Amino acid sequence: MTEEMNIADYLAQGGKLTNPANVPPRYRAELMKIMSAFVDSELAGAAGFADVINDGPGIKERIAAAKIVLEKTDNADRVLRLMGEFGAATGRYVSHHPWTDRLPRETEPGRTRSAHDMRLSVFNYPLAGWTDAVTMNLVMGLAVDVQLRDLAQASYQPLAEAIRGLAPREARHTELAEEGLARLAAQGQRAAIAESVAYWRPRVAAMFADPAPERMAQLRGWGLRHADAAQMRAAWEGALDEALARVDSAAVAA
Amino acid sequence: MPRFHELTVTDVKKTIRDAVVVTLKPANGAAFDFIQGQYLTFRRDFDGTEIRRSYSICAGRDEGILQVGIKKVDGGAFSTWANEELQPGMVLEAMEPMGSFHTPLDAAQARSYLGFAGGSGITPVLSILKTVLAAEPRSDFTLVYANRGVNTIMFREELEDLKNRYMGRLNVIHVLESDAQDIELFQGRVDAEKCEALFAHWIDVENVETAFICGPEPMMLGIAAALKSHGLSDDQIKFELFASAQPGRVTRKASAAGAAKDTAAETQATVTLDGATRSFAMSKEVSVLDAALENALDAPYACKAGVCSTCRCKVLEGEVEMVANHALEDYEVAQGYVLSCQSFPLTDRVTVDYDQ
Repeated sequence: MTEEMNIADYLAQGGKLTNPANVPPRYRAELMKIMSAFVDSELAGAAGFADVINDGPGIKERIAAAKIVLEKTDNADRVLRLMGEFGAATGRYVSHHPWTDRLPRETEPGRTRSAHDMRLSVFNYPLAGWTDAVTMNLVMGLAVDVQLRDLAQASYQPLAEAIRGLAPREARHTELAEEGLARLAAQGQRAAIAESVAYWRPRVAAMFADPAPERMAQLRGWGLRHADAAQMRAAWEGALDEALARVDSAAVAA
Repeated sequence: MPRFHELTVTDVKKTIRDAVVVTLKPANGAAFDFIQGQYLTFRRDFDGTEIRRSYSICAGRDEGILQVGIKKVDGGAFSTWANEELQPGMVLEAMEPMGSFHTPLDAAQARSYLGFAGGSGITPVLSILKTVLAAEPRSDFTLVYANRGVNTIMFREELEDLKNRYMGRLNVIHVLESDAQDIELFQGRVDAEKCEALFAHWIDVENVETAFICGPEPMMLGIAAALKSHGLSDDQIKFELFASAQPGRVTRKASAAGAAKDTAAETQATVTLDGATRSFAMSKEVSVLDAALENALDAPYACKAGVCSTCRCKVLEGEVEMVANHALEDYEVAQGYVLSCQSFPLTDRVTVDYDQ
């Protein structure tokens, strides 16, 4: 069984890579980038949410927020461990960046990543209180769900498996946000929610972006990207409109 | 970060002409627990160049031993050495077992597993099937084992013994490329078409819980396609690929150390990225990564702190100073790899390659 095949052809036909030893250098670089963007976003997201735990109006809300912080941190750990198998210094990684750093609230949407870490741009904006945090969690959570569906098909099998394992927990965070938002809407917070949606929507939308066409084609050929930004953004817009409609009708019913 | 441990070789046994089974014991008595289907990464110095190779564990979890199978590869420094010179009593260095080629087991379950192995791809699959049969007394395992001919089948006798031991629970289908078989179905290559024929008459693919595939690339693609067309999801198909691309030959030292240090403030840099090479002048006060980015090269990076290793590149000419390194191992540095975010030119010419 010595038949050989070019690794690029293998990947283009849907082949999977299974450990650091069989990953070619440029693929490795793109994969590390994808993994660090995920880890940084989870850590920055968890750090931002940790600050609002005590803004929760009741004990149930605080438990939900604390659970989200715990699980997002654990999700970061699962992917960081995979980076460790490539040689990344996992111990230093977490303590290196100021994960709670944010830009001023009024910063325009679509600001590029900070120079120091790979978090998605949306995690550069600060939360403004409990209702705003729950709204952000819903708007962003739905976007995360869409992106994880793409990542779950990644050609690096250990990453795809890690994502498939953690995606249900992320989806549950989004459900918690919708339930929380429905309660807030029923308590007369609809105007505040609408204001927060207007703030977060363009900022989350800005994270759906494709790299230059050649690189995108390369990523697709390697099986590291599947849907393009327009497709993912449309899926997110649809899911968000549906969720907001459910939140509204819950408020009306109350 | 994974660390290396010393393992004493307690036995070296030939299975076929060009493959050995090596039994190992942790030298300091430390626990070296593994999960079925995992692999060990060894390192050894060959004429001043460190080589690392990964080999799958072939023992079952319940056997209480640590064993790997090493097939000799043409021109492969480590596998040739292991097949020709490795003796009991010698000490090897290996990282803790790694890999995710496994699924959780549950003694209460009655599941059907399907394994595909091509040549030496049998090693992790053997570990899995031995463990599954011992740990899940109600489960069964079907192995489709592809080889060139009868005399290249690794673990042939051991598989026969296992069939007798787990009567009715282990089914082994040998598919041979060049030796004639009584049944035509069992001759040729294991590809999508062969899988279809096997699924039609010999394998109840609809009831398979998980399929494990370890073999060369085209075989993995063909089998995966056939399994998916029979309704198996990504979660039900586990791959282990030890690609032919694994570098194993001893190459000359590529580190360009020893070049005289120069004193000019500027360096002529040549950067290869995605197959294209560009040259530009850069200040010695700027990191190689930043200079590449400033010159519109889409160089990979993430943390810019010497931690994540995304920006790794290889120095082909000249010398750089790496001010921090928390990600590259000594052997990578010895081969000329640097973290470009932490590397500043020392010589008047520097050539780096991100594609190696």
